[in-house]
Amino acid sequence: MTRLMTNLYDSSKCTACRGCFTACKDSNQLPAVFDKSYFGGPGNGTYDSKDGDTDANTYMMIRFNETEDPVDGVRWNFLKWQCMHCMEPACLAVCPKSAYTKLDWGATFHDEDKCIGCQYCTYACPFGIPKYRKHTDTVTKCTLCYERVAEGLTPACARSCAPGAVKFGYRDELLEEARIRVKFLRANGFPRATIYGETELGAGTNKLYILTDTPDKFGLPVNPQVEGNTVFWQDWVQPYAGWLIPLALGGSAVSFVTSRVVANKNEEHGKGGHA
Amino acid sequence: MQWIPEYREDVPRVERFNSLARFTHWTHTVTFLLCLFTGLALFLDGVDWLAAIFGGYRGAGLVHRIAAVILTVSILTAMAVGFKGVIAWIKDLLRFGKNDIGFLMVFPLEFLGFKVKIPPQTRFNGGEKMNSVVTPTMVFLLMISGWIIWWPSIWWPGLVRFSYWVHDLAMIFGTLMVCMHGYLGSFHPGSGESFWGMWKGTVREDWAKHHHAIWYEETYGDKAKTEEE
Repeated sequence: MTRLMTNLYDSSKCTACRGCFTACKDSNQLPAVFDKSYFGGPGNGTYDSKDGDTDANTYMMIRFNETEDPVDGVRWNFLKWQCMHCMEPACLAVCPKSAYTKLDWGATFHDEDKCIGCQYCTYACPFGIPKYRKHTDTVTKCTLCYERVAEGLTPACARSCAPGAVKFGYRDELLEEARIRVKFLRANGFPRATIYGETELGAGTNKLYILTDTPDKFGLPVNPQVEGNTVFWQDWVQPYAGWLIPLALGGSAVSFVTSRVVANKNEEHGKGGHA
Repeated sequence: MQWIPEYREDVPRVERFNSLARFTHWTHTVTFLLCLFTGLALFLDGVDWLAAIFGGYRGAGLVHRIAAVILTVSILTAMAVGFKGVIAWIKDLLRFGKNDIGFLMVFPLEFLGFKVKIPPQTRFNGGEKMNSVVTPTMVFLLMISGWIIWWPSIWWPGLVRFSYWVHDLAMIFGTLMVCMHGYLGSFHPGSGESFWGMWKGTVREDWAKHHHAIWYEETYGDKAKTEEE
């Protein structure tokens, strides 16, 4: 198996300069999106450039999470927010057009040419990442810059990060680095520092995070899960219920033959009446 | 080989369904089947040929939505215009009793073409009563879940996820009933005459007497005639 390649984001180093955000837009040729927070409206009540979430023309963004703690006081937790490239992606499982594929080096790739905009993935994703774009009638999400990686380059976000908070490399090496960094942070004023993405959703995600606090302080689900409704739909309804239709058709076909064979013995029915 | 019983004008016939019921039934048939085949393009894997009939997946999606709108509007309109008929229908369904259970018990044999003795039936027999409950329920579930899926962003996300499997399951049970209903209402030698009830509006009097004795008695029998006078 090819060695997995991934992003490591270190929240303790991020200065929220949003260079990655801009580089992402640039590399993916995405237009600017003007929303409430841009125009000084209430937005989601933070200083996000976006209202706390990605959209169809913004594959990634920096989230601003303000937390207050009696001991630590007020802290501003920044979070790079985009597709997590799950090891076992729910989007891939629900997509009726097989537009999603898992690349052997770890990216969850979405083929927009195959997409028909049904948005099943949007609602299956534990992070709600794939977003619908009306004018193309497709959903979009972070590509992990697969086309750059294929050319031996690093993803645009990692390439542009000035403080070195976003890195790209082999997953095992980055995990090792993350463990050392978390140990350091825990000893130096961040006792709750943790790694996110190593084991989340069972198999983990192909985006790794070093968090200076618990995931909830960064607006991340502490225990992300694929919803029960989606699991029931995919694992029970879709594989096992459909046979009822061929059963009805088959039954009718059998009856069509037998009733004509048997009915021929019962003349009156054969004539179609009951006189 | 005979496909469906011959339509005979030379024998006495009685009305079974009025024009509104028939019009709604066939509008529903066409729109339901359009929705079904365009929907199957998504439900089944690897059926690009099915989508291609409707001009690809986006075309299928468009046909699905147009058919769904016509289906919803026609059903709701017909229910409002023919409200009395709907009530009469429901009243007949509520008459579910021993004779219906008797019908359902021997039905598998009748289905295969064996001659069986069936207790007298009301306007709708035990099987039709079942179809009258299951199919409309499934169609209403399909309509409600479908409209939620169409505009997912205005709903609570959990409801959208719930609607996905409800839509699939209702499609499966609805289609199961439609397959059986379509067959029994046409090619099945015993009940094939009922096709003319829905196509032309009338069935043979002797067929009505034999298959729906209670309904025939109450509607066209001696008792009904006396009441009319």
